[in-house]
Amino acid sequence: MASSDAKPKSVSRAKKWSEEIENLYRFQQAGYRDETEYKQVKQVSTVDRWPETGYVKKLQRRDNTFYYYNKQRECNDKEVHKVKIYAY
Amino acid sequence: MVAEKETLSLNKCPDKMPKRTKLLAQQPLPVHQPHSLVSEGFTVKAMMKNSVVRGPPVAGAFKERPTKPTAFRKFYERGDFPIALEHDSKGNKIAWKVEIEKLDYHHYLPLFFEGLCEMTFPYEFFARQGIHDMLEHGGNKILPVIPQLIIPIKNALNLRNRQVICVTLKVLQHLAVSAEMVGEALVPYYRQILPILNIFKNMNDEQWAKWIRAGQTLKQARAVRHPSLESSQGTTGKRPQEGADGAGSPSRHFWFNEANFQQL
Repeated sequence: MASSDAKPKSVSRAKKWSEEIENLYRFQQAGYRDETEYKQVKQVSTVDRWPETGYVKKLQRRDNTFYYYNKQRECNDKEVHKVKIYAY
Repeated sequence: MVAEKETLSLNKCPDKMPKRTKLLAQQPLPVHQPHSLVSEGFTVKAMMKNSVVRGPPVAGAFKERPTKPTAFRKFYERGDFPIALEHDSKGNKIAWKVEIEKLDYHHYLPLFFEGLCEMTFPYEFFARQGIHDMLEHGGNKILPVIPQLIIPIKNALNLRNRQVICVTLKVLQHLAVSAEMVGEALVPYYRQILPILNIFKNMNDEQWAKWIRAGQTLKQARAVRHPSLESSQGTTGKRPQEGADGAGSPSRHFWFNEANFQQL
């Protein structure tokens, strides 16, 4: 479990879509690296998710506006290679 | 020598005057072709023997109506909507300044539906995406607002604009699957929504595709038209009774199918 001010040690690009990549895509669309940074910045313990699919449902951006995401997959295959995977 | 006698009696300038000829015994009489008279219907002129009645003028059922300024545009330009436009790699995205769950659906949802009449960016994008987000996250807040949505839906369909009709049909499909009992709640309003769809019911795929604007694929047009007008399964509750709206009524074909919606 990362500490409250943990920073990633390495970054790589996603090659193939998966549910984890889908969620990472959604966090990065909202301007965060991943769920860890979102929880650090927003000081929340849980993230709103769709109960059916487990994908992220709602995120609050740094400017306090809200991004809402669909129940289904939003990350196309063309966008997969843009998703960054951070390792702590 | 009959011809010579006639020319001698009538002809002072033989080069200018045409020669008169007489019919021979075996030659039939020339039939006098009356000049046909084109006239409008239901007039005295139309009653004449040689009149040809012009067909009725085009009623303009398929003609697109002009759009009027909407309340959605007015509110958007005043900044009353809690939304902002964001550009991302996929195009445009909508960011909400207030959580959708905290919005007053009675106030905002009908306004967004009024934006369905818009055809220009960014109004049509905000209306479409705003409706999508509000229906996606509305839950049980949507059902009480249904009666207020019918007039905006009817106004959007009455424009007869193909782009607007496509978007409105998609919105209707989403509305029907957005919450419980919404499908049943729409049944009393079929008589207001379906007549305009009845006009386009017999339009074949080629005509429909021809009139869709550039950028809309034929597959999308078929996908929009097919489940909205020809679906047979209900989403919530039972199908309406066959005889409820009369035999041959278009409402028999108008029932949303959640599976078909997912294909969109």
